[in-house]
Amino acid sequence: MTSQNIAPQQQTCAPRPTARTSRRWAWGLAGVATLTILLGVVAMQMVPASAASTRPAPAEQTPSNAACFACHATPGMQTTLASGEGLYLTVDPQVYNDSVHGKMGYACVQCHTDITGYPHPALTAPTHRDLTLELYRSCQACHPTMFQEVLDSVHQKALAAGNTDAAVCTDCHGAHDVQPPDEPRSRIPKTCQKCHSQIYDQYKDSVHGAALIGDGNPDVPSCIDCHEVHSVQGPSNSPFRLFSPDICAKCHADSTLMAKYGISTDVFRTYVADFHGTTVTLFQAVTPGQEPNTPVCIDCHGVHDIQNVNNPDSPVIKHNLLATCEKCHPDATTNFPASWLSHYRPTPQHAALVYYVNLFYKSLIPTLIGGMGLFVVLDGFRRIRRHRRGQNDE
Amino acid sequence: MMSEPRYLRFPLAYRIEHWVLTLSFTTLAITGLVQKYPLNSVSQSIVGVLGGIVNTRTVHHVAAIVLMLEVVYHIGVVGYRVFVLRVRPTMVPSLGDVRAAWGTLLFNLGFTRDHPAQGRYGFEEKAEYWAVVWGIAVMAITGFLMWNPIASAKFLPGEFIPAAKSAHGYEALLAVLAIIVWHIYHVHLRNFNKSMFTGYLTEEEMLDEHGLELADLQAGRVDAPLDAPVRRSRMRVFVPVYSIVAVALIIGIYLFATFEQTAITTIPPAEDVVIYAPLTATPFPTALPTQTPSSEKPTTWDDGIGLIFQSGCIACHGSASSMGGLSLGSYAGAMRGGSSGPVIVPNQPDNSELIRLQAAGGHPGQLSGDELQYIREWIDNGAPEK
Repeated sequence: MTSQNIAPQQQTCAPRPTARTSRRWAWGLAGVATLTILLGVVAMQMVPASAASTRPAPAEQTPSNAACFACHATPGMQTTLASGEGLYLTVDPQVYNDSVHGKMGYACVQCHTDITGYPHPALTAPTHRDLTLELYRSCQACHPTMFQEVLDSVHQKALAAGNTDAAVCTDCHGAHDVQPPDEPRSRIPKTCQKCHSQIYDQYKDSVHGAALIGDGNPDVPSCIDCHEVHSVQGPSNSPFRLFSPDICAKCHADSTLMAKYGISTDVFRTYVADFHGTTVTLFQAVTPGQEPNTPVCIDCHGVHDIQNVNNPDSPVIKHNLLATCEKCHPDATTNFPASWLSHYRPTPQHAALVYYVNLFYKSLIPTLIGGMGLFVVLDGFRRIRRHRRGQNDE
Repeated sequence: MMSEPRYLRFPLAYRIEHWVLTLSFTTLAITGLVQKYPLNSVSQSIVGVLGGIVNTRTVHHVAAIVLMLEVVYHIGVVGYRVFVLRVRPTMVPSLGDVRAAWGTLLFNLGFTRDHPAQGRYGFEEKAEYWAVVWGIAVMAITGFLMWNPIASAKFLPGEFIPAAKSAHGYEALLAVLAIIVWHIYHVHLRNFNKSMFTGYLTEEEMLDEHGLELADLQAGRVDAPLDAPVRRSRMRVFVPVYSIVAVALIIGIYLFATFEQTAITTIPPAEDVVIYAPLTATPFPTALPTQTPSSEKPTTWDDGIGLIFQSGCIACHGSASSMGGLSLGSYAGAMRGGSSGPVIVPNQPDNSELIRLQAAGGHPGQLSGDELQYIREWIDNGAPEK
């Protein structure tokens, strides 16, 4: 308190650094330093706002982790659940101590809240999965915000609908071996792979996936950049598809990012200007709950298997384009794909006919309407003049 | 005072045509321009009022069909006037119109004292009429290309479709601006011309805008009425010819609207992939092999009793973690007991806590019956180390 009170004084005295004022300076600096440290401490307390704020410090927990590990470090320790499924009871202390929670010194019983000593309450969950579905709720105590987001996710909706395969916290993050989920970033798709292996197989060979998994490219999207993390939405039961062009535009309309790879940022603008994109834009603005009847980016470029447009396997490379058009236009013939300008702005070199039609009207409209306007304005002035003169004559 | 003489300009049929054109044109302009400017918030509000872009397009298409049917009717009206009535052509542009336009410009600039007098249709009206003819032709052709892109691309390069879309949009903009600048000025601002509502113009209006026509009317220079037999003979040719033309045009309009199913109505799934395809779960490993029981009955700590404790108890009661203060890792530890006292009382197995607890069953490191029996006998024999 004292040092904080002194701190403002040093400002008034600052212009004349005498011996006394320099002592005040020292006090002031000390005050500022104290204040900074205090603020820092407060800030550090606030940073993990969702974590650890609602739980007592690890040291107060009983039984201690040492007590738990006294038994549960024993290799091969297992029990049998009511369904006959085996369940390992062993936790490798080294694995736990290396986990994010272990490093912070959190206690086993902060998650295993039903354990207060020995003997333990009987395991009532008949299967391994049932036990997971009981235990993952512990995450909520320290991570309420994320837990709340998860409640809106497609996984929780599936779970609520009775699909017990739907992922819960520990399915993605692990239980005793929780590690930072994005270190390295390529860990993210590998986490999703556990349940979505077919999608992973497509993603890993895509232009985005190969760059992330192979080269550790920090710019390409992982799963969660498109699907969100805890509030992950299903592409089939939400306006996900309708608004998906905006997801692509997050990167593909970013000129700084695209310049790095020599990719045009016109793609979004030219899409919106075209029939398909115009339609989608109006669906977004007017009827966001309805499924648009025109394609979004992924319908032509592919979803998880999206390729570089110059890749011979790309669905939008010239020799594959007709087949791609035929998905929705089954009667399309050879000339039809050229009716789509491939995200190019019309120029004399590319889509010359469109370019010259535009040029024609861009010249004609101002000339014609300007001429009409001039004629009309002159006529109007003359009439007004004549009208006034007529009045004067009377 | 006598009522002012008035002159019939537009009979009811003309007026109906005009209002059908007005209605279809306005509908087309609104439902079309919102598609040309989809990001504009006014466009989005209009599309919202119309119930979405799909409905908006349907309205646009219906209005287009109405306009095309009006064109078929208008061709009949014009054909009747040209081939049956054979009236003087009043809408055909001539050099006189150029002179009238030039004269009007000079007059407006103050170079001449008199405004040129004009006939039934002034150059302003002829310009507008033929602009509508041109506009409808452009819109119909480009509209067909957009309505039937697949059929069009069978005969034309694909690039014609976006070119048609561009032309359609710009032509619409041109038409709307022309209506606003030219039509609104000449018909509503210069002098509110009510003939399209009432059918009539006053003498003053006629004098101002159609001086030559007024002079003709007042001098009785009008088209002579047609003799009935002449009219009948001309109709015998006109009616079948126009019928064929009209039917052909109506079939054309029907094809225009139904020629092709451009796209399937529901977009197919963007990818064919099983969403939930878990990696093979790690199977629960088979249980660790149980300790092979020694063939000989252990009688001392060193020849086997210690091993029993080693395999079954020291996970909890070992030297590293001695739960309850008890370490069964060594003979000395076992004999010392735990924090609540000794667990082994030599020669008194029934008083030994270890036996009591294990006999009750359910201890985490539960010993087998045989193992417990050996330990009981070992304690009975004084629990020797060697």
